[in-house]
Amino acid sequence: MTDHKTLLWIFLIAAVLIAVIFIAVYRSSLQAAEDSPGLENPKRKRFFFFALLFALLVILLAVTLPKSPYYMHADETPAEVVYVRAEQYSFNLSRTEELSYDDMELPAGKVIEFRVRSKDVNHGFGVYNDKYELVTQTQAMPGYVNRLRWVFDEPGTYHILCLEYCGMSHHIMSSSFTVN
Amino acid sequence: MENRSLKKVTSVWIITILVLFLASITLGIIMRFNQGTQLHLKPNTFYATLTTHGVTMIGIWAAAGLVAINYLLSRYVKTSAGLSIFALVFTVIGVVMLWMSTFAGNFHAAWTFLYPLPLAPYAAWKAWATNLFLWSLVVFGVGWLVWSVGMMAQILRNYSITEIFAWQHLTGKEPEKKTPPFILISSVSLIGIILCLLAAVVLLVFFFMEMYTTGVKNDALLMKNLTYFFGHTLANEALYLGLAAVYELMPEVGGRKKFGTTWYVALGWNCTMVFVLTAFFHHMYMDFVQPGGFQIVGQLASYFASLPAAAVTAFSVATLVYRNRIKWSFTNLLFFIGIIGWLIGGVGAVIDSTISNNIILHNTLWVPAHFHTYNAMGNVLLCLGFFWWAAHDFSGTRDTFRSHWPTLTLLLIGGFGFVLMFYLGGASSVPRRYAVYPEGIANGAPLATAAAWFAVVYLVGMLMVFLTIIRRCTKAFSPAS
Repeated sequence: MTDHKTLLWIFLIAAVLIAVIFIAVYRSSLQAAEDSPGLENPKRKRFFFFALLFALLVILLAVTLPKSPYYMHADETPAEVVYVRAEQYSFNLSRTEELSYDDMELPAGKVIEFRVRSKDVNHGFGVYNDKYELVTQTQAMPGYVNRLRWVFDEPGTYHILCLEYCGMSHHIMSSSFTVN
Repeated sequence: MENRSLKKVTSVWIITILVLFLASITLGIIMRFNQGTQLHLKPNTFYATLTTHGVTMIGIWAAAGLVAINYLLSRYVKTSAGLSIFALVFTVIGVVMLWMSTFAGNFHAAWTFLYPLPLAPYAAWKAWATNLFLWSLVVFGVGWLVWSVGMMAQILRNYSITEIFAWQHLTGKEPEKKTPPFILISSVSLIGIILCLLAAVVLLVFFFMEMYTTGVKNDALLMKNLTYFFGHTLANEALYLGLAAVYELMPEVGGRKKFGTTWYVALGWNCTMVFVLTAFFHHMYMDFVQPGGFQIVGQLASYFASLPAAAVTAFSVATLVYRNRIKWSFTNLLFFIGIIGWLIGGVGAVIDSTISNNIILHNTLWVPAHFHTYNAMGNVLLCLGFFWWAAHDFSGTRDTFRSHWPTLTLLLIGGFGFVLMFYLGGASSVPRRYAVYPEGIANGAPLATAAAWFAVVYLVGMLMVFLTIIRRCTKAFSPAS
């Protein structure tokens, strides 16, 4: 998966490129003579621009779609199943469908399946590493169970933050678990 | 006389929208200062502010696009000042109800009001506030739906179904009756707006059924799909209305030949209409119970919606300007910069609409980053271009940009600086819609403070625009004129 910093750089480079091109276009207008013919062969250039963009998008689709989280570890048997129940304003993590108040410890390098549900309103199950970088997530929706499969390569403490606005204490709704 | 009435109501709309915009920017600044720990609002006050800011902003900029096309349509078909007044009255009443529900009733379920949050039994707001909030949306919806259907009906009096979609241009041969790009884009956008407002009607009916009858429970997944079909589509169609104004006015103001409809312009906008109606699925990527086909459609539609946008509209604007002598005015600069902001926001949106990226970006600050870019630096500037042009046209004042460079500089520094802080926040995994950041989210508070100051700069620029526009509008309708 592409990390946050790479995505930021891709964005910044594209944004600067767009700005530079349009500034150049603007400057060309200031320097243009009264009878300047403008862009030569615009139809042909538009076609090439379209084809280039189309090819780029198709390549991006082909590369990124198979990496969608729905297909990750889909054919594997999870080593652990964790039942997550979200409610205003707490998460409960358990190895059974019953509530548990024990600390959750999970193995590194193995497939974990989180079965995430909500008792009341929509919540977000956002998993952050110990540097508070968002690693993965799914939503908790009343009446449904979202199954998120993930392999934690790095041991350490993982923090759970609510990533769907759920009311006045949304920002303090959190929990954690340990990966050994 | 009708034309003067239309100009008058357009001016009142412009002033109303700008006043609400300045107020809503101020709410945004308060929120960012609170997140930066410079202010200390109660959480429920913060979230009530967030709700007010979100609904007001989406509403006024959708209305701004409708105002622009309602006025410009009068060049092609008969438009009604009465319908515009009707929508204005409903909008003002809706705003009063909305602000009462949030600030007096403390309703704070955000603009998304995701079911079943507004009906949560332990909600920290008054029960009447939920009713008032939802009924304020009914009032907005009735005003805009009647207005949009009215405009569509007027277009259909002069253009057939085939002509509003410009299908006669798809053969590549010169058609007997040409469809102006403005009619094509307005029609495509109005159809989208009517459809998403109808989705809002269904959504609200489901809410009311549960509220006013017993034993009815709605399906959270269906309600979420309806919410985003309505909200996402409205925000996007609003932007296209701004683009319709660009197609109509930019060549004219620049002293160039008008844009014509060609087969690729027709095809591009027809594709846009289809793609934009299904792109909302990208809001649901993290709901793994959503049918997988919808998720794939979400990414395909989000990607391919950008193709006609870039290859048709942006390319056409670049071609209009490149090595061509343009009469640059403040109007055209706003249009031109608005296109840049729209494209840059589009890049941020495409990155976020990639499912494998969304898992680490969804509901972080990356989301407000991209939509604030194509709103605050895109659609707002496109509509502002129309406002500026209208104010000068109505008052017979010359539109130049020489004395307005400081205003533009403030808007550019403030606007792009403000959204950059959101992107940096998104790349640092900072969650969105947090009144206060947890200790571990170290970058949240300093980025919020910096963003608030950039927003202050943007606000000053916007205030200068407002003062000029209000002077021109007052001059246009003073007794001496």
